[in-house]
Amino acid sequence: MIVVTNFRRWAIALTVPAGALAICFYVLPILQVLALSVTEPSFGLGNYIALFQNAAIGRVVRTTLVVSAMTTVLTIVFSYIVAFALVQMRPGVRRFAMFLVMLPFWISVLVRAFSWITILRRNGVLNSALGEAGLISEPLELIYNQLGVIIGMVHYMMPFAILLLYANLTDIDGRIIQAARSLGARPFTIFWRVWLPLSMPGLAITTLFIVIFSFGFLVTPAILGAGRVLMIAEYISVQISGTLRWGVATALSTSMLLVVAGLVALAMRHPAFRSAFGGSQK
Amino acid sequence: MMPGWILLQRLLPRIAAWLLLAFLFLPILVVIPVSLTDREYLSLPDQSLSLQHFASLLNWRAGWLPSMITSIGIAIASSLLATALAAAFAIGAWVHAGRWPTAMRLILLSPLIVPPIIYAVGMVRLWSRFNLLDTWIGVTLVHMILSMPLAVLAIGASLANLDPRLVQAARSLGARPPIVFAKVILPNILPGVAAGAVFAFITSWDEITVTLFITSRRIVTLPRKIWTSIADSVDPALAAIAAVMLLVTIVGLLIRMLVWDGRTPNRS
Repeated sequence: MIVVTNFRRWAIALTVPAGALAICFYVLPILQVLALSVTEPSFGLGNYIALFQNAAIGRVVRTTLVVSAMTTVLTIVFSYIVAFALVQMRPGVRRFAMFLVMLPFWISVLVRAFSWITILRRNGVLNSALGEAGLISEPLELIYNQLGVIIGMVHYMMPFAILLLYANLTDIDGRIIQAARSLGARPFTIFWRVWLPLSMPGLAITTLFIVIFSFGFLVTPAILGAGRVLMIAEYISVQISGTLRWGVATALSTSMLLVVAGLVALAMRHPAFRSAFGGSQK
Repeated sequence: MMPGWILLQRLLPRIAAWLLLAFLFLPILVVIPVSLTDREYLSLPDQSLSLQHFASLLNWRAGWLPSMITSIGIAIASSLLATALAAAFAIGAWVHAGRWPTAMRLILLSPLIVPPIIYAVGMVRLWSRFNLLDTWIGVTLVHMILSMPLAVLAIGASLANLDPRLVQAARSLGARPPIVFAKVILPNILPGVAAGAVFAFITSWDEITVTLFITSRRIVTLPRKIWTSIADSVDPALAAIAAVMLLVTIVGLLIRMLVWDGRTPNRS
């Protein structure tokens, strides 16, 4: 019995350094953000009241909601189409298709944003090609607006969503599909009545992730929006690096954190999420 | 009903899927022709191909080379720290899945979900108090924290495949706890530790959101340098660095696919 506790004590000791560092350099700074939101510049809920009264912040929140919602819907629909096709592919073809998904997954978000700038700007690759083909007389405004931000964000989110959805679809028992087919169901019926219901847990968890990522995204909206499509993360960044309005920045950060926590808590009530999040507790 | 209709039902989703795959892949390739342009501004090559923008990457004063070295240094330091901490944590939590390790696990994984901008706001305050803004140690510590989630997941995944009876056998043969951890568990999860280290390295190498706020003039990582160049100008050197990163990623991915397929031929 003494040997057991000794071994356990060693095990717990191993978890302490990582835990302690995470508390000091992750949890505490974030708690400080929460604290500052009600103490800077004076104690109270003034910063939160200001959030609701400020018209500029209202616009930023609306933009964020619209762009996040569009990004999520497009990402989920597109990614499901790709993930569904991946499951049906022959192994060799699938490996090639997987490569096409993994490359954007691993490449720097900045490189991807830069590629989109090169393609979409006024005298970019796409506008020149369309112009030379005589399809347009005026360059299309494809970037530095919501369209450009959404294109870039969908492109950023898709590999991630495809991998999550694909993992979920491969878990579906192929015999169920065979059973449906042998009972005479047509392809569309099989998809609608069998595949789609069985994909729901995967679709739900992927949607949650994409919503949360889009909601707090800084890099792609900042580069492809160039200040003209201001989302919450970029607004916060302007507050702390430019105008030094810490009260507003921390109150917005806290609100964002609460929304994310609320979404996760809501999702955790569903058993599929619990198993996905607490998966590796042996 | 009609064969044509059924054919369309089967073909249409596949065509859509391949078009979407092209949407994912092709736009990234545009950096290659642009990086070879013979002009001084961002454009497709006009008269001839030129390597001048790759050459300018090697010019020390242009700043690309120093920022690459900075990024590699910080990525090595932070990923070594993160991997060691994550390995110790994962092993400890695997042996003793109590309340504290479970809670700590949630905290260690939370950077995957919590928007990095919130962490950036917190770190600017903390580091300005400790005078660690724009310092090597400040950036390395932050990257270490941000690299731990993927390392914990990778190492945890390989522990999940480890037979607990191995540990029981070692202990019943009288091995002391440090020996069990270092000589029994660790050698058996080395692939997971290696994968964790690679993930940690890439996380640090790519990190931009938090780095942007805790650095300014002295510590310029490669992502920070790219960020400023995108904001400032349309320098074709940007396309050259993007092309280099693209090629490195392609090579890395191909190696990984070959190694992976070689190790577990029946899995994909």
